Amino acid sequence: MASRKTLVVGLGNPILGDDGVGWTVAEAVRRELNGSDVEVACLSVGGVRLMERLVGYDRVIIIDSMYGGGGEVGTVTCFPIEQLPNPSAGHTSSAHDTSLFTALETGRAMGVDLPDEIEVVAIESQKVHDFSETFTPPVAGAIPQATRVVCQLLSQQTPEGREL
Amino acid sequence: MKRISIDPITRLEGHGKIEIFLNEEGEVANTYFQVPELRGFEQFCVGRAAEEMPRITQRICGVCPEAHHMASTKTLDALFHVDPPSAAKKLREMFYSAFYCADHTVHFYALGAPDFVVGPEAPAAERNILGVIHKVGVDIGKQVIACRHRNHHVIEMVGGRGVHPVAGLPGGWSKAITEEERQEIEAIAKENIDFALFSLKIFEDVVLGNQGYVDLILSDAYTHQVYYMGTVDENNHVNFYDGMIRVVDPEGKEFAKYHPSEYREHIAEHVESWSYLKFPYLKKIGWKGLVDGKDSGVYCATPLSRLNASDGMATPKAQEAFEKMYETLGSKKVNGRYQPVHHTLAAHWARLVELLYAAERMVELITDKEITDPNVRTPITEKPDEGVGCVEAPRGTLTHHYWSDDNGILTKVNLIVGTTNNNAPISMSVKSAAKGLIHKGTVVTEGLLNKVEMAFRSYDPCYACATHSLPGQMPLEVVIRDADGAVTETLRQNC
Repeated sequence: MASRKTLVVGLGNPILGDDGVGWTVAEAVRRELNGSDVEVACLSVGGVRLMERLVGYDRVIIIDSMYGGGGEVGTVTCFPIEQLPNPSAGHTSSAHDTSLFTALETGRAMGVDLPDEIEVVAIESQKVHDFSETFTPPVAGAIPQATRVVCQLLSQQTPEGREL
Repeated sequence: MKRISIDPITRLEGHGKIEIFLNEEGEVANTYFQVPELRGFEQFCVGRAAEEMPRITQRICGVCPEAHHMASTKTLDALFHVDPPSAAKKLREMFYSAFYCADHTVHFYALGAPDFVVGPEAPAAERNILGVIHKVGVDIGKQVIACRHRNHHVIEMVGGRGVHPVAGLPGGWSKAITEEERQEIEAIAKENIDFALFSLKIFEDVVLGNQGYVDLILSDAYTHQVYYMGTVDENNHVNFYDGMIRVVDPEGKEFAKYHPSEYREHIAEHVESWSYLKFPYLKKIGWKGLVDGKDSGVYCATPLSRLNASDGMATPKAQEAFEKMYETLGSKKVNGRYQPVHHTLAAHWARLVELLYAAERMVELITDKEITDPNVRTPITEKPDEGVGCVEAPRGTLTHHYWSDDNGILTKVNLIVGTTNNNAPISMSVKSAAKGLIHKGTVVTEGLLNKVEMAFRSYDPCYACATHSLPGQMPLEVVIRDADGAVTETLRQNC
């Protein structure tokens, strides 16, 4: 296995119900890794701020809740970031600066040292607009599977886009 | 025109929605703008220890956690009846200035500049920060990233952690800075001034140097005459960290000036049956609907509002930039102060004036002889009960209000976030933008979304930005209805 500097990012808001599942999965992955040199971070940022955090890594796995992805709640999917829907790079939708996709392209255009491999592990979620520290049952149930998926990815070289 | 009621429960979850109602002649009669709202925050907080709030509330916003952290910390000062030492206040404000330098920079280059530098007629895919970099050059892009990097470093150094600071405490700040850190920060603050001046120059060259853009800024579609709100210091100069809340009328006359704790005497919330959004308005004027003018209680809280509500900037270069802006936009001085600028797109310019002030203020504070004083905390001696804390978040006046029992356990919480102040003017601006493109029932679909976007983007509104769920895009739907309420057209973006 090539030693590429790898970062696992749990993305989400821990006080917003299902939105925080990325953090919980990331913490579970951290426990599984137990001493490996893969770094694990739990973040609540997007756009430019998130892009800035990825600087200097060769490979990143982002774990996040997916809302409106079309699958059944609790479904775990995995795909390279290029397959993330970004229908228009229009920025009405990214709260205050831009989408992660555009931020990454911008960073690359400026020669910023960004990972060449970014994979996303997404858990289809239900309640992401209500303040809560608990998950809906299907999302809670998906945590072990999502954890396994991330660990499997870490032991692989190339990402695959498939539903699991 | 028939009276139509929209059931707010039928809103699409997670979507931004604009409903445009036409009258019998096919002209725009009313426009309503809605965004997904996060629910249940108060219930979530009640029963928790008040000291948790600076950590909890900063999770509300994905972009300005520092603003919530600061408002919350100040609320705890009030709740526990404790006054921080002078050095702590200066340290907090210096920290907050660094936050403004990072935040206002990215928003100018990612949000404001795309409309002007790339151009309002350019395709959506180019109207973003990447498009700006392509036009102004990679070197400038690198400077934007460098500016954010150095200010985030200050935030982490002084706030105890990157992005979500932990140092705010009732009565002060958890750690002082060393002389070594002070010197490092001073160098960073001076670089900030240079970059702010540079960004203003870009605005002048690219935007003001283009008559088409100037006409756009001055056009009726983006003009509204409302009341303006901002925080001012004892000299009525803009201050982001602390001061009195000042409101001026559309002609620039001071209407109210009050301590943040008195906000409920001045601000009330109007509720409409068709929306779950609340519309704050000036109580003493009253709610007259989504209309302009001195008799309407609608007010606005944006960088432009802050400048309008003030008598100027507290630092020299920023004051120069302030005067240039008002003179250029044709504002006249009445009784020694400039009349308000009513062109909402000028908020992008105002943001740069504020950026320059934040940089100069950061230098002032970091070179203050007290700034490395180790005494940055006043112990709490009184029982908590109720407190209000207010700061200027980059997108508007931010108010936190907590009630607790004797043990500091929260019994009630109320928050007015920056954007909430602007719910009414945003709907009004979207209406004006739409009016220009819809006549006799015919919709110019191309450009409608863009013009409408430009209208609300100048407010830099918060769209449930605490949520990070993929795909990370907030879908926007524009629904046009005829006089009978039937949908005639639906435009969609990202959905």
